[in-house]
Amino acid sequence: MGETILLVDDEEGIRKVLGISLKDRGYEVLTAGGGEEALRLFRKERPPIVLTDIKMPGMDGIDLLQRIKEERPETEVIMITGHGDMKLAIESLKANATDFVTKPINDDVLGIALKRAGESMRLRRKLREYTENLEGLVEEKTKKLMEAERLAVVGQTVAAIAHAIKNITGGLTGGAFVLEKGLELKNEKYLCQGWDMVKGNVSKIKGLAMDLLNYAKEREPDYQLCDPNRLIQEVYDLMLPHARENGVTLHIELDRGLPEIWLDPEGIHRCLLNLVTNAIDACNDISCSETGRAVFLRSSKGKNCAVEYQVADKGCGMDKETRGKIFQRFFSTKGSQGTGLGLMITKKIVDEHNGDIGCESRRGKGTKFFIRLPSNEQASGSGKTP
Amino acid sequence: MRKRILVVDDELDMRIYVSTLLETNGYKPLSAVDGKEGLEVARKNRPSLIILDVMMPKESGIGLYRDLKIDQELKDIPVIMLSALSKKTFFHSQRVLNEYKGENIPDPEGYIEKPPEPEELLEVIQNCLK
Repeated sequence: MGETILLVDDEEGIRKVLGISLKDRGYEVLTAGGGEEALRLFRKERPPIVLTDIKMPGMDGIDLLQRIKEERPETEVIMITGHGDMKLAIESLKANATDFVTKPINDDVLGIALKRAGESMRLRRKLREYTENLEGLVEEKTKKLMEAERLAVVGQTVAAIAHAIKNITGGLTGGAFVLEKGLELKNEKYLCQGWDMVKGNVSKIKGLAMDLLNYAKEREPDYQLCDPNRLIQEVYDLMLPHARENGVTLHIELDRGLPEIWLDPEGIHRCLLNLVTNAIDACNDISCSETGRAVFLRSSKGKNCAVEYQVADKGCGMDKETRGKIFQRFFSTKGSQGTGLGLMITKKIVDEHNGDIGCESRRGKGTKFFIRLPSNEQASGSGKTP
Repeated sequence: MRKRILVVDDELDMRIYVSTLLETNGYKPLSAVDGKEGLEVARKNRPSLIILDVMMPKESGIGLYRDLKIDQELKDIPVIMLSALSKKTFFHSQRVLNEYKGENIPDPEGYIEKPPEPEELLEVIQNCLK
């Protein structure tokens, strides 16, 4: 079945003759005797081609053309003009008519005009197809890329874990060897050293496993109304012996006027613990001799937040490049001692609280991390708070 | 007299492990935690062999290796590289550095990927000291 043409002319004779001619060319033909009727029919049938007389009583051809172009600009409208109506013909072309034919209608001329309309429709369809194909293609490629990206991330993750495990295995192999020599030679020095190596590496692998679990686990934060000072005090008490062992002094400074806020105590405890552990490690970094060997824990009422925790060290600080990477997974400055997961997990937890984490650091001057938490009707996003 | 062998590694575990392996096989281990200390100990004690970690935080083993091999007095001491890097990657990096710096540093006498198995390391050590 051919395309549908809406034929509009106030002269019934023309509608009849032209109608037959169009049908002969294989078109479906609808006819209307005037502009208004044509518009109604057009809206109902949405024919792709309209062939209309220009001069008609009531709504004339130019009006009809303009209305049609407003409603469906892709419609091909061919104008029929009287002999010598060049002005009107040109006006209609300006209004985006496809073509015009003059009365009396020459069959060949009409054929050319129709061919042109058909060509134009075909091109437009092609274009639309291409566009749709292109969108489909982009979508498909994007999917593939995302899949590749996901695999790459999994690959990197697995490689990083494998590397961490390989390191620990190395330590364990060494420990086992030294221990064996101790047993073999009844040498107490070897026994002690070997045993320490085994223990140290067992605790390393435990730490790695815990970090990985924390990383993988989609734990729902368990929000409770807490004294923010209690958490930081707990971390201080917990870390004091470790700091002392490492020759680092730990200082704490609390703002006693802080209100209780809604937070996930286990999560925030872990964040603070991570920051303090890092701070002590930073003081111990042998690559910089000017470390102050002191770590400061502070709580305060921050700007635009309910509580601001600070953990500052007098260690060797970080350069800009390092600062940019610290929250990435598996990025670590601690060699085989670090899993590169701690800060990433810390950030994840702070994000869950709708909080903010960041740091100021200067090479040689030390590093100050802050965690800012909102008063936390906001953090109740999970629906756990009343 | 027992032959002195220097172990340069930033990790205590690895130093203890390799030192014990050396000690229990009749060598005298010396140890250093980084490249700088490694060079000092090498100059002072003239070991018969140096076992060197490639990846160390402060000065990499690669740097120390090149320092050793351009030092007229130390360049003949055989070196075994001990590294988490694959052998291929390491040797490639050496060739690139040679080209870049216009130097011609020879390949190390031995190369072992971490973690080393005791027998494997021992065999390479004995080969280097022949």
